[in-house]
Amino acid sequence: MTVPSEHLLILAGILFAVGAAGFFLRRNVIVVLMCIELMLNAANLSFLAASRMHTLKAGALGPALEGPIFAIFVIVIAAVEAAVGLALVIALYRNRQSVNLEDVSDLKD
Amino acid sequence: MANALFYLMALLSVASALGVVLAKNPIQCVLSLLGSFFCLATIYLLAGFQFIAAAQILVYGGAIMVLFLFVIMLLNLGDPGTADKTDARMFSRPNVAAVVVVAALLLGVAVYAVKLSPVVHAAQELPERGIDTVHGLAGEMFGRYLLPFEAVSLLLLATAIAVVVLAKRERSPKRGAKS
Repeated sequence: MTVPSEHLLILAGILFAVGAAGFFLRRNVIVVLMCIELMLNAANLSFLAASRMHTLKAGALGPALEGPIFAIFVIVIAAVEAAVGLALVIALYRNRQSVNLEDVSDLKD
Repeated sequence: MANALFYLMALLSVASALGVVLAKNPIQCVLSLLGSFFCLATIYLLAGFQFIAAAQILVYGGAIMVLFLFVIMLLNLGDPGTADKTDARMFSRPNVAAVVVVAALLLGVAVYAVKLSPVVHAAQELPERGIDTVHGLAGEMFGRYLLPFEAVSLLLLATAIAVVVLAKRERSPKRGAKS
């Protein structure tokens, strides 16, 4: 593939913007968690694009492995976040019988 | 050929990301998210990251997807009748306009930053075995990044305990569990 790495970065920006839009628009907790996963995926893609850029540039000594290493850490964090978030959703549903964020505004007033 | 595949997959991943945001039914959201993950895995593979692509499919496509589907089925949110009503209100015109403006600004800043940064021309071929060989990754992960690795293992242990504590039904007779 000879696509410039900048296009990967732009794709990451688009995906992050879509995820952020969903994060602000949706009121279903589960869908909000999915949008967080989308944003984390975009962050991963930008890490990997930077790694590719530095591996392919002139005079690079070897593969730039910082990008993939941090991408692995991000994947682990995403899994942890999904597990804790969904456990919170179950606890919330048990107490309120709802997964709508509008019903959980006790701290608002 | 590979370039065309990249642009096709980029288009598909953005389309399925939009599906996550716009679909009414949570099940459709999960399936769109799965499509987005697979498209991204293909992009990683094309960019020369075999290990990350495999991890993406195993962890995101396997574990996280099953978690989401499990919770949706458990809470019985898949019925069209129980689709959240207020989401329709959330897609009112001022909200959508504000979010679109903010997202466009964010994207514009990102594209401008990319365009402003010095262009790094690809001067070399991709390494034959890809960028993230397991050999290289292991050398880094268990060398320079050993401390973060151990911290992540502690984090996973803490998460396992926290999830059990959070999701456990309270059965203490003193508190008089209601249901």
